[in-house]
Amino acid sequence: MRKGRDRYAGLRWRMGGHRGDEQIRAEFEHHLAARIQEYVASGMTPEAAKQEAMRRLGDVERYVRETRAIDSTLAHELRRREVLGAARREVRQSVRGLVRSPLFTIAAAVTLALGLGATGAVYTLLDAVVLQPLPYAAPDRLVYVASRVTGGGTAGQWGVSPAGYFYYRDHQRTLTGLGVFSQWPVNVSGEGEAERAWAALVNAELFTVLNARVVAGRLLRTEETLPGSASVAMLSHAFWMRRYGGEASVVGRTIQVDAAPVEVIGVLEPGFALPQGTPDLWMARRLNPAGPFFNEHSLGMVARLREGETVESAQRDLAQLTARFTEVYPQVYPESFIREYGFAVEVVPLRGQVLGSSERTLWILFAAVGLVLVIACANVANLVLVRAEVKRREGAIRSAIGAARSHLAWHYITESLLVTTAAALLGLGLAAGALGVLRQLAPAGIPRLADVGLGWNTALLLLSIGLALGTLFGVFPLLRSTRHSALVLREGGRSASASRRQGVVRGALVTAQVALALTLLTGAGLMLRSFARLQAVEPGISSEGVLTGELTLPWGRYRSWEQTNTFYRDLLERLEALPGIARAAVSTVLPLGGSGFCSVVFVEDRPLEPGQEPACLLVSLVSPGFFDAMGIAVQGRAPTWNDNDSRSDAVVVSRALAQRFWGAESAIGRGVRSNGPEPPFYRVSGVTADVHVRGLDQPPTEAVYYPLMPMPGTSLWSPPRNTSLIVRARTSRPLALLPDIRRVLHELDVDVPLANVQTFEEVVAGSMARRSFATMLLALAAAMALALSAVGIYGVISYVVGQRRAEMGIRLALGARSAEVALMVVTQALRLVAFGIVTGLIFSLASTRTLQSLLFEISPTDPLTLVAVGSLIVLLAALAAWMPARKAARVNPVDVMRAE
Amino acid sequence: MQLDLLQGTLDMLILKALAGEAKHGYGVAAWLQRTTEDVLRVEEGSLYPALHRLERRGWVESEWGYSDNNRRAKYYGLTAEGRRQLRQERAAWGRFVEAVGKVLSAPAS
Repeated sequence: MRKGRDRYAGLRWRMGGHRGDEQIRAEFEHHLAARIQEYVASGMTPEAAKQEAMRRLGDVERYVRETRAIDSTLAHELRRREVLGAARREVRQSVRGLVRSPLFTIAAAVTLALGLGATGAVYTLLDAVVLQPLPYAAPDRLVYVASRVTGGGTAGQWGVSPAGYFYYRDHQRTLTGLGVFSQWPVNVSGEGEAERAWAALVNAELFTVLNARVVAGRLLRTEETLPGSASVAMLSHAFWMRRYGGEASVVGRTIQVDAAPVEVIGVLEPGFALPQGTPDLWMARRLNPAGPFFNEHSLGMVARLREGETVESAQRDLAQLTARFTEVYPQVYPESFIREYGFAVEVVPLRGQVLGSSERTLWILFAAVGLVLVIACANVANLVLVRAEVKRREGAIRSAIGAARSHLAWHYITESLLVTTAAALLGLGLAAGALGVLRQLAPAGIPRLADVGLGWNTALLLLSIGLALGTLFGVFPLLRSTRHSALVLREGGRSASASRRQGVVRGALVTAQVALALTLLTGAGLMLRSFARLQAVEPGISSEGVLTGELTLPWGRYRSWEQTNTFYRDLLERLEALPGIARAAVSTVLPLGGSGFCSVVFVEDRPLEPGQEPACLLVSLVSPGFFDAMGIAVQGRAPTWNDNDSRSDAVVVSRALAQRFWGAESAIGRGVRSNGPEPPFYRVSGVTADVHVRGLDQPPTEAVYYPLMPMPGTSLWSPPRNTSLIVRARTSRPLALLPDIRRVLHELDVDVPLANVQTFEEVVAGSMARRSFATMLLALAAAMALALSAVGIYGVISYVVGQRRAEMGIRLALGARSAEVALMVVTQALRLVAFGIVTGLIFSLASTRTLQSLLFEISPTDPLTLVAVGSLIVLLAALAAWMPARKAARVNPVDVMRAE
Repeated sequence: MQLDLLQGTLDMLILKALAGEAKHGYGVAAWLQRTTEDVLRVEEGSLYPALHRLERRGWVESEWGYSDNNRRAKYYGLTAEGRRQLRQERAAWGRFVEAVGKVLSAPAS
């Protein structure tokens, strides 16, 4: 038997169906012919032989059909197996290729992974904080209602007044329900240690608006928010688990809130919180529709838009109602108040209210790491180009001996997909690590940041970017490698036109890198300069060695001024008796602690004209010793315990306030008060230096510091039950005092806890946390951009030097000095960089405006920053080019000649 | 006398037929006929779906070539896997025959 070689026949019939049929029939025909031949040989007539052979064969059509069915599944399988096999071969080959050039593989993968890791980490923050919807049903229909105030001493966003709430509730036509809330620290005692908890004081409708559900008990009812109803409370899930161990029996039990009995009626579902803030307890905000009403704006308000209504229509609706306040509540809202304070209602999407400036900041950071990724990609593109150059000959030989273009394409794409996928996985790991660090560093108050973690969204994003880049980098060298195939072989590996075109691409990559790095550096530079300016602000407080904490006295046992005063005096006297404590004090407002509260101030010798409104300024009740403990300088005299206890009229004001009312004249002896313009007035006994109570980026605060005990004839709201304790230690380690402080407090009243203990340095850092977080991340991104760009410049210049070795050799042989050659290389590099810097400056000027809101006393076009950043890049570029330049200058002409 | 083939034994017979040198379909039929002295009754057409099925399972591989009389014919040969399969089927068949033999030779009770 002879076997011919017709290997491709099999492949051919597998490809087409009709051909397969022919092949099967050919098999049967061969069979029949052979059988007939045998029968004829044994003496049969051809007729009979054919008949007998057919009989033995059986139903041919049926068997052909069966065979065909088997073949088509076989063909299918074979094709799949072939593709899989090819892919496996390709991957194996690529892996081998990559392992053979570890420098390329590691450099490309690590560079990309850095870019991807940064992108992944910031994207995770962005996704959790900004992109995910608020955790309420149909969150797009929720709005936040507030008052916008533009004048009167304390401009900004205020809450809604109870009067306003009732008027809106009864007359609005664009909202389905109005939920109101305020938050207040309360003292929870009984059943274990007393603790300071945050209570949300709300109306029943808030739960409808936010779609709250309970896991035990029931929700608050409207009748329970009416004046005179019994005290009830709901617990947040977290507080229930923490303080009551998740016991269902707590529902129906009576607990002690501010030393008064309160019945627990329900527990809210896990995670349910206010749009801003996570209260532990939810209690009724008792509002009387009949009044009396005051000009106080303490209510947060959330509402749901009616079908077909928009934020704009709701704004119009409520603005019309607000315009009637002067007629409906002339006592609360005199026209002068509306005018002088620029009072207006403000309806905004709840999402915007919750996110505030975080949204913008996070998008800016995301853009920044996106640019880092682009710069990393430029570096990898460079690496891929160099590698393509090396492989060009290999590719040319392959395609010359008949390898299909598509096969080469697969080879390049597989290789680059392997690298980018590895980079994406590595990047995910880096992102996870970075997130852990970011969570630690992130400022308090960014919503939903605490439980942010690497999720599928981020993994999907990084892998998609990895795949897209892999394909891109795979196709990139292909565009050139096959085009010049013949040329490459003929010229022995050098193709002038190809290198020229490559030179242009490389130049463009470096230019783009420098431009982007410059943009990032400018942003980071502006932020850093802002931060430095902020740090240079003299806060007016000496923060070293100061410990702060918050006290919440149970209202039930501290109802009178005498009671609170006695408690504070005893506490502070005992604390000051401790050897480690220099001074101890309490204050209702902690400087830089984030309080935005203000109150009207009347001045004796500046009576209000008819139709003029008093200014709303910072008002704080402070114990004697407050200014010493905070290190605030006072000109004149601060009240002593003697003054305080004898209810003297001595009061301290800030320099900014003195300037507002009396200008250059002395403030000492002037009369101020807060509850109405009639005498008696407090007498200014001392004036503080400038203090930035509301934030270092805010102007010096206009403030009045009243004593803890009101002078007879004045009443300063209610006795101070929520205060900050401020302790100045004799050493620089105030935290060491904490056990002693707690012990003293415990001895004095076991039910007064000390909450939120921080050193004052931490308070100051906290007040700048957002800014420092954004600054740090932007600086980090810029540093990465700078490093990657330097590597990029170094890589390109080294390559160019390698290419021009011969030329350098000839120059040196003709008598050029090595310094000249080196200078030539550096100059060439700097020419590329100069292009980049010009482009980058244009980018920067166009984009730093977005940073405006994050800057402090720095213009987005600050020339010093631009010059510094430009110089830094030039310096680094020169440095990056210097190393290859030195190599160029040391070329030995003889070696070069030999090599040619 | 001619015997009908037991269900499922055709594949095993084909594998055995191909255990030697590669054969085309007619070659397999002729070998079976010769070896069994023409006792087994097989519709020869059924060999082809069977051969293709064996090929699909990877026990048999095929190649087009030219037969003695210079006709194009498709040759089938055993793969390594096919040889393994044949060994297994042979062992199983042995046990089967033994078991059936025991049953048939057991005293009736």
